[in-house]
Amino acid sequence: MKRLFSLLAACGLATSAHAADLTVYTYDSFVSEWGPGPQLEAAFEESCQCDLAFIAVDDGVSILNRLRIEKDKTKADVLLGLDDSLTEVTRRESLVQPHGIALNGLKPELQWQDQDFIPYDYGFFSFVYNTNKVEQPATSLKALIDSDASVIYQDPRTSTPGQGLMLWVKAVYGDDSANAWKQLASHTVTVTKGWWEAYSMFLEGDADYVLSYNTSPAYHVVTEEKTHYKAAAFSEGHVAQIEVAAISKYAKNPELAKQFLSFLISPQAQSIIPTANWMLPVVDNVELPEIFDELIQPKRIGFTPKQIAKQRKSWIREWRSTAN
Amino acid sequence: MRLYWLAYAAIFALTVLSFYGLINFGDEGLDTSLLQDSYFYAILGFTLKQALLSALFSVGIAIPIARALYFLPALRFKKLFLTFCLLCFVTPTLIVITGLVALLGRSGLLTPSLNTALSSFSESTWNLYGLSGILIAHIFMNMPLAVRIIYLQLQTIPDNSWKLASQLKLSKRQCFRIVEWPVLKSSSVLLLCFIFVLCFNSFAVVLALGGGPQSTTLEVAIYQALKYDFNIPEALTLAWTQLIVAGGLYWLITRSGGVSWQSIESSQYNWRPNQSSSARFWFSSLYGSAWLVLLLPYLSLLPGLFDSDLSSKDLKAIGRSALISISLAAIAACLAMALAFALLRPIRQAALKAQSKRVWLYESLATHALVAPAMVLSVGLFVYLLPRIDLDRWGIIFVVLLNTALVIPFAVQKLKPRLLQFDQQYDRLARSLKLTQQTRWKIEWPFIKEIYLATMGLVLVLAMGDVAIFSIFGSTDWTTLPWLIYGYASSYRIAEASAASFLLLTLCALFLFFLEKLSSRSTVSKQPIEPSQAYKGETHA
Repeated sequence: MKRLFSLLAACGLATSAHAADLTVYTYDSFVSEWGPGPQLEAAFEESCQCDLAFIAVDDGVSILNRLRIEKDKTKADVLLGLDDSLTEVTRRESLVQPHGIALNGLKPELQWQDQDFIPYDYGFFSFVYNTNKVEQPATSLKALIDSDASVIYQDPRTSTPGQGLMLWVKAVYGDDSANAWKQLASHTVTVTKGWWEAYSMFLEGDADYVLSYNTSPAYHVVTEEKTHYKAAAFSEGHVAQIEVAAISKYAKNPELAKQFLSFLISPQAQSIIPTANWMLPVVDNVELPEIFDELIQPKRIGFTPKQIAKQRKSWIREWRSTAN
Repeated sequence: MRLYWLAYAAIFALTVLSFYGLINFGDEGLDTSLLQDSYFYAILGFTLKQALLSALFSVGIAIPIARALYFLPALRFKKLFLTFCLLCFVTPTLIVITGLVALLGRSGLLTPSLNTALSSFSESTWNLYGLSGILIAHIFMNMPLAVRIIYLQLQTIPDNSWKLASQLKLSKRQCFRIVEWPVLKSSSVLLLCFIFVLCFNSFAVVLALGGGPQSTTLEVAIYQALKYDFNIPEALTLAWTQLIVAGGLYWLITRSGGVSWQSIESSQYNWRPNQSSSARFWFSSLYGSAWLVLLLPYLSLLPGLFDSDLSSKDLKAIGRSALISISLAAIAACLAMALAFALLRPIRQAALKAQSKRVWLYESLATHALVAPAMVLSVGLFVYLLPRIDLDRWGIIFVVLLNTALVIPFAVQKLKPRLLQFDQQYDRLARSLKLTQQTRWKIEWPFIKEIYLATMGLVLVLAMGDVAIFSIFGSTDWTTLPWLIYGYASSYRIAEASAASFLLLTLCALFLFFLEKLSSRSTVSKQPIEPSQAYKGETHA
């Protein structure tokens, strides 16, 4: 038994023995072979002549939770993969420090003013449908909710798209949300734990609409050459998910961390991220496959991170008691 | 200090450290305000309801199928069927869900015919999602296990009972009540408890097929509290509730009923009452439909498989992950089997002295991980270890250890009856002959080998399907096959995901079949010391 352990230990040592110059906490799919991580790492290491290491956890929320547990003992220099709904909580627990990077190069529609977080990609929550099955898609959230089209979405308690829909309904319906949830529940097929369960059920043909991103059709076109998946554009506007990065408060090398954050919004990195992470770039004039121009470009609505942090709990309570 | 107490200390330390980690970190007590929330009672009620129904249906459907297997000894592919039953039990939930949706979802293969069937007597159309979907998935996974256990149990009915029954000209119903039921009763009750606890802790199935927030289990609430709200007091309150309710029910029933898995003898009794031709017909069609129903969800996965066009890079990644999965699961299985053996020591000693309370106490301790919420164990341990150990380097060891801890209850439950049977038959003899430990082991090993290997296959395959623990402790250097499937799936790579799922399933099946084969070969080789004969020899002497 001991021998087995030392064998395991030896393997462990061999894979991640040395401490890197810059340690980045991120989520798994970001650093997977087909994610943007490996390409970004190579590009950044070449320009900085330093060693970058990713430590990947389950997902965005897990990055925050890990920092909450580690506090000042954290290895992280950079946190990459939180989203805008988590920025306020992260700031309040003083886990990050100001980045000091000029924000004027970012797309104006993002209206990004945050001094602690840098956005690196974003997407609009959207309902995706199959044009072979739905000929006349809904043109507004209200129309969809009042229709009897079958819908699959994700649980706002366990997934970010689910939470996105919750904000969307809140933004469109305000105090009338409870009724909207009831109405939607009458033609909801199911509510899943995560994005994937919902999306694969949709691909199996189990619903007319699935909650996903406006960028989803790009994947089907670029990788599968399938053009019959489209995102429905809603007249009220869409809620966005903006993925962000920040410098850890306990970063050992804040200068290099800042350099990495600047790199993330450089044209080079911005042309890598969209087709590997299937989200939109945060700066203009990035060379991308044609389909990205054809994606719907909705008006952005929603709430500030502060409002979300304050109201989330009561909104979830409302959802779970009415969406039956 | 005996070695086996170390085993108790080890598995207990794991649980205690986890809870300590959470309690200490939050530095707050329990969140008792939750107990005044009607939401809390709604989810508790739903958790209980679905678990109870799943358990009742699983066992209820399993009994007739097991009887069919028992009364028609000449059924074809029976051995294969029994192994297949195990496969259903251990198939990763992700695959079960995909299979069921492909079969019974809105565009499922069977849905049109179900709708036609339904339309003849009601307005509504077939809908998988909701309580029905949860029950179907739970029954699909647990009923086959029940078939296996009940079938083995039926085989312990002595030939004489049947002969006597036929001499007394007992009717079918009387036969069932007088001959079969006493044998079935204890294993059915235990199975009910066991399946109840498994479904009580169910998570992914409930969310995916539940249809909305009305289908929420405690485990979902714990996940939400721990992960999305990082609300440790609330998570702890829920965890204690789960531990007390699931654990309390399980322990109460196993204790009050005085039930235990009875000793499983391997097909020593061959005499079966003659079946009328109509009974034969019913039994064999039942057997045939069981095959069909259990195979269909797997078959419905096949069409998706042919879409995939894997690159060599993907093949390499899949192969590598498969190797890692197998190695990690094999280590966990070996550890679990060794620990289970050690944990069973005091249980066996107490059983020999007929101290039933002690047996129950030790057994509850040894299998406590079955009712402890897995999420709390892994997150608690993570919180405890993170500041103390470099988990990015050593995390994989805890993936193995936690998987070991979670499969130990299965190993203990499956090994126990055989070991107790051995003690009953040989312990006095072995002691009177003053056999050394070594010689004693030489007799013991052939006796338990069959069950031992089969159990090892089961725990190995269970450990191989893990994603929950890996998601917390794992690292990308060690990507396991199930984790790779989630990775593919979460970046739209559905064809690759289904190819990897298929490989995982094939591996699970291969391990189960291989170990069952190995163990059945050993049954033949141990013929010279047939336990019943040895037992008779001892009593006559």
